[in-house]
Amino acid sequence: MDLSHHLSDEARNRLANPLKDIMRVTSECSVTDLITMANGDPHHSLYPFQQIMYEVPSVQDPSDSVTSWNNSGRTQIIRSYRDQECALPICNAFLYSRAAGLVQCKDALTDFTNLIFAPPNHHVMLTFGNSDGLTKIFRLFGQKGDHFLTDEFSFPGMTNCPLAYGVKWVGVKMDSGGIIPEELEKVLIRWDEAKLGRRPRLLYIVPVGQNPTGSTLSVDRRKKIYAVAQIWDLIIVEDDPYYFLRYDVPQTNCASADPDEFIKNFISTLIPTFLSMDVDGRVLRLDTFSKVLAPGMRLGWITSNKLFHLKLGEYTDSSTQPPHAFGQMFVTEMLSEHGWKIEGFCRWLRSLRLDYQNRLDFLLDVFQREVEPTGYASVNRPEAGMFVWIEVFFEKHPRFVRERCSGGSPVVARTNTECLLKELFERLMNIHGVVFMPASTFAIPENALWVESDGHVPLSDRTRFLRATFAGTEDIIEKGMIRLGKGLREFFQE
Amino acid sequence: MVFLPSATSATSAADVGLKRSHVDYSRYLSAEARSRLPNPIKSIWKAAQVKPGTINMGNGDPHHTLYPISEVNFVVPSIDEHDPVQSWRSGTGEQNIISSYKDELCALSLRTAFAYGAGAGLKDVRDALADLNDRIHSPPNHTVSLSLGNADALTKCFRLLGDPGDSFLCEEFTFSAMTNAALPLGIEWVPIRMDNNGLVPSDLERILSSWDEAKQGKRPHVLYTIPCSQNPTGSTLSLERRQQIYQIAHDWDIIILEDDPYFFLQYDLGMSQSTIQQYGHTRAMAEVLPRSFLSMDYDGRVMRLDSFSKIVAPGMRLGWVTSNSYFADKLDMLTDSSSQHPHGMGQAFVAELLGSNGWGVDGFMKWILSLCNEYQRRRDLFMDVFRQKVATSGFASAEVPQSGMFVWIKSGPTTNTADLMDELFRKLLNNGLVMMPASTFAIADRTGTMGSHINDRVNFFRATFVGTDETIRNGLATFGRTLEEFFL
Repeated sequence: MDLSHHLSDEARNRLANPLKDIMRVTSECSVTDLITMANGDPHHSLYPFQQIMYEVPSVQDPSDSVTSWNNSGRTQIIRSYRDQECALPICNAFLYSRAAGLVQCKDALTDFTNLIFAPPNHHVMLTFGNSDGLTKIFRLFGQKGDHFLTDEFSFPGMTNCPLAYGVKWVGVKMDSGGIIPEELEKVLIRWDEAKLGRRPRLLYIVPVGQNPTGSTLSVDRRKKIYAVAQIWDLIIVEDDPYYFLRYDVPQTNCASADPDEFIKNFISTLIPTFLSMDVDGRVLRLDTFSKVLAPGMRLGWITSNKLFHLKLGEYTDSSTQPPHAFGQMFVTEMLSEHGWKIEGFCRWLRSLRLDYQNRLDFLLDVFQREVEPTGYASVNRPEAGMFVWIEVFFEKHPRFVRERCSGGSPVVARTNTECLLKELFERLMNIHGVVFMPASTFAIPENALWVESDGHVPLSDRTRFLRATFAGTEDIIEKGMIRLGKGLREFFQE
Repeated sequence: MVFLPSATSATSAADVGLKRSHVDYSRYLSAEARSRLPNPIKSIWKAAQVKPGTINMGNGDPHHTLYPISEVNFVVPSIDEHDPVQSWRSGTGEQNIISSYKDELCALSLRTAFAYGAGAGLKDVRDALADLNDRIHSPPNHTVSLSLGNADALTKCFRLLGDPGDSFLCEEFTFSAMTNAALPLGIEWVPIRMDNNGLVPSDLERILSSWDEAKQGKRPHVLYTIPCSQNPTGSTLSLERRQQIYQIAHDWDIIILEDDPYFFLQYDLGMSQSTIQQYGHTRAMAEVLPRSFLSMDYDGRVMRLDSFSKIVAPGMRLGWVTSNSYFADKLDMLTDSSSQHPHGMGQAFVAELLGSNGWGVDGFMKWILSLCNEYQRRRDLFMDVFRQKVATSGFASAEVPQSGMFVWIKSGPTTNTADLMDELFRKLLNNGLVMMPASTFAIADRTGTMGSHINDRVNFFRATFVGTDETIRNGLATFGRTLEEFFL
């Protein structure tokens, strides 16, 4: 399917690297023993690295990897070598590379992707993490005057980025199950190109453990959304950093020592991705090591159709270049025979998921003890991710104001929810010493032109949430919930 | 709809700097850079840091107990060897182990390095590089931000400073992979004439003074230059030229993008052994290295790009940008809105390497000096073989480069140059040798004021001398032979 019409002018005008022409002519040359004096790299004998060692948890223990890692459990040593065999030798790793990244690392991640996600016909490109990948994708498809679609509560760290070059966001209504497919369709049907410009053609979503609401899109919703995307020719950008942190799934039998058996069971606990159903090639999926290894790894990958893969590669060559040798070496060795192998990495992922689930359980326990009895707030149990979305009942506040609906703009606030939220946020931070993210930080500004007038409750009246993380220690979670309970009481009983 | 803490938000350093010096740098910025918003989450996070004892449940960062790497160590050359590079190449030298830990004491712990951070990079690393800057360049009043290398830094500067329709100045032969990157952003290049010694200041002056904004659009406000081992011509700008260029930039209000990845690879230095013994390698190098544009930047109009690519390895994907604090702030905002800060392992490595458990800054300069000696040896070998196998025929000539990796070989055709050079390139290829033809790097003049088409002047090849001795000998022998076949 030819999706090239989705590209921005910038992406269309981008030239391939001029040195590539030389490389092409060179590679077509039939001469053997070609001497090249054309490059500008230091020779690998001058790289000041002979060996790099990484100490990591051992994942082969039948007991839980994360727990044993923090209780002086067995460790494993992984190495990158210059002079000995390994999955990605130092001499290769530190070269200038092109586009998609070093072939050894790309292949390792392609194997992983194919095994776990089974994409129909896609290619893997390395990134410096999902922020890097996502902002490159925004540039690939967006230019001044365009609109992109996303959840009505979304992550401004990323959604702010294309604002600077004139792309605007359209927030689509959500419920506790995430973006509502029928609402998505409504926006597209009602879109008035004369007033608003080109109809939006890109949908950005975080389908598992959505940031900030914690929602996860069901399989049914995914199919419906994909169908809408097909009808309206949308690009789907599947940003999935929390994909493996999914809770309340039937636990894989850890004692199953057989690697293939373990992997099969592990995959069965995962939710089907947009990528796996992408018969058209309209999905770009972003995976990252930030939440499952460490944020400072600065490594991830984008899986997409061939055209977008090439275009992203061109853009990478014209900007950041492919990622750093350290990260590529570590990941390649980690996934290789000398490291954890894919099976071992899945064991780590499973173990991480259990650990985060414990933290979630702990938070919900303390919440039930310290906050719920106040009667001023309630909390969801997220299916995945790192956040809970705490709902605050502002209508119970003595100064809560609701104006009568008397016509006018469907997006102007009719209550003072946002003001009260701001007040609560500041009191909690400055007086009670606890920080939560107020929902308004994540709200995508509404526009009356694309919002249905009848019965629409303005987003400003629905920003009655605080986002809290359970990624911290038990001490932090306990103190945080106690302060929240106290803070709520004092706020509502002023 | 976004809450930015008001009373508690600290004034940024850039704001203070701005008020103090009354310089408005915002006029150089692209529309995009001007309208870029800071990350609201980071603003809230910063405010939360203000009061001690604040419980932060606002951020989705994995806890460090879940990072599955407790130690990374790197086996590197020992810097105590008399000639570290030679000992390393021959495998006879000692080794050092440089380590970074998550839970033990070290220069930059993995606990910090593996967390999310600000776009500028970790303070320890920035400070170490600012210290190096101070000792080499003594910049008047500048800030360091980390980059992912010079391609990353440069293309970010393009976005920072260029609007569609802008004209930027560059050397007429330049690193076209980078200048091409600016084209889809709507930036056009205006080439400046070069001679054996690099870009010609009087031509830069000519372009600016004869610029007609009515016909040509906004006058250029950015100059992109590679002052040492210019890519591809291999020349290094003299101090006199740099001062002239800076003066012109001052007069015409130009921002100078100083792209300097080869800065530390300098030859025929004549370093003083007694200075080394008395004051260490850094001071000794500082005395003989070229004066950078940064070192003379009293206006704050220079953005200097340094990289570890040529002095450690390309895959480091790490470098640093030195600029006035306003530009640094805006650059960091762009980084926070795109690639994010550099990778933890790279930052940890640099911090340990330059720290007291590693080579230290003087040790790093010793490694660099050792590298310079090795590259100089190869350069000398190249020029020797060139004289014997190539220059004698009279069909090619080359100046001796003072720095970097490239030799700019002038060869035969002076008419019908472009076509003949293409033929010659293919002939060389058939004989088993690849050299870069000048046309790959040529920037055509679109102003119509240059007076000669660059295609008449592409009778050059860029050759590198960083290969093995064997490559140099065999390559140049082939080159000489092919020239004779071609011209006779």
